[in-house]
Amino acid sequence: MGAFDPLVTYEKGTYIETDTGNKVSRKAVITGATNIILGGKSIIQSGAVLRGDLRRYTAGQHVVISMGRYCNISEGVVIRPPGKIYKGSFTFYPVRIGDCVTIGQNSVVEAAQIGLGVEIGKDCIIGKFVIIKDLAVILPETVLPEATVVPPMTVWGGNPGQLLDSLPETHQEMVEAKCKGFYSRFRAA
Amino acid sequence: MSVLYHCPHLDESRRPPLPSSYPSSSTSFTPLHSLYFCEECDGVRCNQCVAVEVASYYCPNCLFDVPSANVRGDRNKCNRSCYACPQCATALQIQPTEKMENDQMISGAPYSLICTGCRWSSKTIGWEFDKATGIASQLAKLDPGQAAKTEFEAIKDHLETYMSSSNPEPIRTSSKVPTRHISHLTQMAAKALHRDVPGLAAAKAKGKVRATAGSRSGGLEKAHTKWDELSDYVAKDAWRGGNDSLGIDQLSEMERPEVAALSKRWCSSWGRSSLSSSVLPDRILLHTKLTKRCPHPSCRHLLIQPDAKSVRFKIKMVALNYLPAVEIGRRRRRQDKGPGSTPMAPEEIEQRQRERRRTKAKAGDEEDEEMDKALERGAVYVYQLAFTNPLYDPIQIRLTQPYPPKDAPPINHHVHIPTQHFTVSALKEAWAYDEDDEDDDLPGLEGASEVPSDEGVSTVGGTLGRRNRISTLGTTSSGLREKRARGETGVEKKANMTKVLLEVEVLPDAKGDVTFDLEVRYTYRADAPAPNKEEPTSKSSPNDELKTFTFWVRLNVGKVA
Repeated sequence: MGAFDPLVTYEKGTYIETDTGNKVSRKAVITGATNIILGGKSIIQSGAVLRGDLRRYTAGQHVVISMGRYCNISEGVVIRPPGKIYKGSFTFYPVRIGDCVTIGQNSVVEAAQIGLGVEIGKDCIIGKFVIIKDLAVILPETVLPEATVVPPMTVWGGNPGQLLDSLPETHQEMVEAKCKGFYSRFRAA
Repeated sequence: MSVLYHCPHLDESRRPPLPSSYPSSSTSFTPLHSLYFCEECDGVRCNQCVAVEVASYYCPNCLFDVPSANVRGDRNKCNRSCYACPQCATALQIQPTEKMENDQMISGAPYSLICTGCRWSSKTIGWEFDKATGIASQLAKLDPGQAAKTEFEAIKDHLETYMSSSNPEPIRTSSKVPTRHISHLTQMAAKALHRDVPGLAAAKAKGKVRATAGSRSGGLEKAHTKWDELSDYVAKDAWRGGNDSLGIDQLSEMERPEVAALSKRWCSSWGRSSLSSSVLPDRILLHTKLTKRCPHPSCRHLLIQPDAKSVRFKIKMVALNYLPAVEIGRRRRRQDKGPGSTPMAPEEIEQRQRERRRTKAKAGDEEDEEMDKALERGAVYVYQLAFTNPLYDPIQIRLTQPYPPKDAPPINHHVHIPTQHFTVSALKEAWAYDEDDEDDDLPGLEGASEVPSDEGVSTVGGTLGRRNRISTLGTTSSGLREKRARGETGVEKKANMTKVLLEVEVLPDAKGDVTFDLEVRYTYRADAPAPNKEEPTSKSSPNDELKTFTFWVRLNVGKVA
């Protein structure tokens, strides 16, 4: 699979490669980096915004954004933790993102949980406290209202997002191959 | 650009599918990732032909697994707290009421349902709840549909008594008196055959009345009609009050958003108002996880068995793990078109194909093109076909074009396959691939890789004995290696993938899509020789552990400009 996919190149020096193989653009805005965990071999492209500074205001260390392996955060994506008033005070809640998650260009994500192998198209708005279960597909330009639950192996689209279809049983293999393939094709020029 | 795989839909003749010029053939072609493979009957199965059973039901909103015993009683809908917004179908959230008490915000009862998509609130229809859980059971007391439900149950009960009481008359089928044993059986069968279809009883009774009326005129009186046994049903009438239906005149005077769209109303079970302000939210429909079985009547093996807890599958027999994946890419256009402007006679085409086989195209006279660009008439395009082997053993592939039926509609292109025989290395862990993994090839298969193509070739691979194969190997493979070193074959090998060339000549008078089928026959090493389970395509002797499997792919390479 992916026999004819072209290489995706970037200018040398514009990306920082970590020990675990993450490739993070120098032009990505990453705040509160100590509160962000990347699983390794994930790509954060230029212009992406990761708000690790929006953490719970209590003492101690809090993980704000945790991301699995082989994720791809495209250009202009905003990931911020969801927040709400709980017992009279405003609190942020962490974002958990699984392995092999792809988020398309200019999408805004305030989900509480994104399962493994989820594919979010470009220009999507994922509302606060949305839970996206494993291997779901969110079509481009979808708006998921607050606290929507996306069951596994389903396709969602539209504004407001609706369940449109379900996916074949082989979807997991397809997604894993795609994400691993993209990581290996994403190289310095 | 697409590559679709053929599913024979249980046709065991192993005939090639109808060519793409027959639109009816399109129903048997599916992408590889949605096909299944039955190991027992050694065949490809698709979603259209598998037998499907429901393994479990779950609510797509609360993800709760509903026991199948409850599903019917709950009318296939979630019976917890999951409701869909009547305006935008988003799942509703439960919201507490917030009050100021002693300068503090306190949230609590009453609870209402609110849509996070369009801000619709259940307060507008007067739904408020004391508790935040079990909305459906709380609503059972409130639901105006409840009256209609009891009405329906009452009329059902009323009719059921009638249906069970009107027994069919005993039927005399033959004059022979059967033995006691058989008579019992025939009686049972007759009973089953003449069992009343619910709802048909009344019609039957009516028919009987007519029949007796007719016979009476003839002077013959036939007995009991039982027509009058059905007593009148008295409606409870309670449900009629809730339906404030409006006349068409009133509706036409209203603004559009005030009238509920049909799409919002047709799912609601009971007669409801046509005003959008009074459309009620409905419980969310359950979803299913499906078990899929081989459709073959003598097989019925499980192909897909889902796990109720996760996205994994306990059994997953998918074609992706058995058939080599075919991909098409890297389109190049041949520059030396030759006399391509006039339509060619069949002999001329044949001659040109023969020429092409002898003389390999020189590097440099081909130009890379975008895959989605429209094809030009009279041009020759060279594509690369990539075959990826999913098996842990190397395979040998024979690539041919199936013969079209005699009176098939004319085609708009010609296909030439320069390399008809090649091997694809085994699937391994990424680190296990060597720089030069040619030695990993299936012994005896390598030699056949570059036999000069001949339409009738069918004697290579599994058909020869092992000793023969090795001896033919010795003569051809050295030449092949040399050729490969010079890069002339156009065959590229990398890990478990082999890329070969494919030439497509678009005819000068071509129109529409250029679509063609390819027959892929691959020879693989079976895990254990099973002499009693020899598939029809395998021509090898029972002791031979090499097996062949044939499938067809349909390639669409684009549209003619």
